Amino acid sequence: MCVGVPMKVVEIDYPMAVAEAKGVKRQINLMLLPEDEVKVGDYVMVHVGNAIEVIDEKEAEEIWKVLDEVMAALEEREDF
Amino acid sequence: MKRERIKELVSLIHEISPKDRKIKIMNVCGSHEHTITYSGMRSLMPENIELIPGPGCPVCVCSESDVINAIRLSQRDDTILVTYGDMLRVPTKEGSIRSSGRNYKMVSAPHEVLKIAKENPEKNVVFFSIGFETTTAPTAALIEMGLPENVTILTSQKLTPEIMEVLVKDEEVGVDAFIAPGHVSAIVGANAWRIFPEEYGIPTVVAGFEPDNLLLAILRILYQLREGRAELENVYRGVVRPEGNVKAQELMYKYFEKADVNWRGIGLIPKSGLEFRKEYDNINAKKVFNLPEIKEEKVKGCICDKIVLGKAYPNECKLFGKVCTPSNPKGPCMVSMEGACNIWYRFGR
Ligand code: SF4
Ligand code: SF4
Repeated sequence: MCVGVPMKVVEIDYPMAVAEAKGVKRQINLMLLPEDEVKVGDYVMVHVGNAIEVIDEKEAEEIWKVLDEVMAALEEREDF
Repeated sequence: MKRERIKELVSLIHEISPKDRKIKIMNVCGSHEHTITYSGMRSLMPENIELIPGPGCPVCVCSESDVINAIRLSQRDDTILVTYGDMLRVPTKEGSIRSSGRNYKMVSAPHEVLKIAKENPEKNVVFFSIGFETTTAPTAALIEMGLPENVTILTSQKLTPEIMEVLVKDEEVGVDAFIAPGHVSAIVGANAWRIFPEEYGIPTVVAGFEPDNLLLAILRILYQLREGRAELENVYRGVVRPEGNVKAQELMYKYFEKADVNWRGIGLIPKSGLEFRKEYDNINAKKVFNLPEIKEEKVKGCICDKIVLGKAYPNECKLFGKVCTPSNPKGPCMVSMEGACNIWYRFGR
């Protein structure tokens, strides 16, 4: 339910925004961050559709890498 | 490169781990347990180091009473119950939302509730908000945006530092150190865990979810134990600030306040959750629909209560993998992808 995913902000209409991860766009909510703390191009950690923190690009990439591994492991054992 | 770093960390862990005593390191996050299990981290540890999963998943500890109330609400003709996908299969004595509910919808973000409310103006839309700080803050954000007239919220929200304090005081658990959850910490701040080293002498390290980050946390813990120190460290600095997300905290406490809440299988724990403040009775589904507190009934044989508190491993349950599986869960820990039994079933030890 609540695995955090890093996403890149591509459009802002505060408090709503559009963010992207791996080519998939999704509407997210920025209400948990002050309006002046996040701008287009920033990377954010997203939990249940809400940005909870701004993070840097390197951190985002590291986390994506792990999520990919997890996904691959999940696919291998798709027995539920 | 990653692989080498992992090797190096593991060999350091072996080198400095004390040989003369058992060490129990508890994680309280479903995502941590996930990394530990799927990466086979337990088998890489020295024999005397035990990595135990604690109450890491809010789905597992969501009180049965709240789930039954959600099921009953979804059975009303004038109501749509909205919640996260993981909640749909949680078993209760009255079935699950999926098996016994009628009008329910799944969302992956609280703001999706707004669309459902707009499309169904003649219905009561009840958002069943469950979770730790990482989902509670988003619910507060939803309220802050302004709820439509037909939306109310059924809360089952738990606080992480508070349950950890219960664990620390429980001698049967005997935790030597904590790995604190990364994303909960992004909200509450690394400083929220200060009480564990300072008041209870328990080394606590905030960690992220990459295997090497978790190993680093374990290594830091072992250094502390070896030197007889108990401190708070943060190895997930890219995401977690000492003070956390202040705006998120403010929003949470604007609408909610600490309350005694029920943890499934464990019981009532003082000040361990969040309920609506009095001023918001009009959007509090428990008040609006006058929902009763329903007595919990445990499934015979299910030891989720022990598992959640780190007193037993999933494979010590007689039902594990035989009667109880992810496709036919008997207890709550088997339902959520972040539940300890579910994770162990899918990835083995
Ligand atoms: S982020 Fe929170 S809910 Fe998600 S797995 Fe970690 S502790 Fe559990
Ligand atoms: S295996 Fe099933 S019945 Fe046993 S403790 Fe886990 S959830 Fe409960």
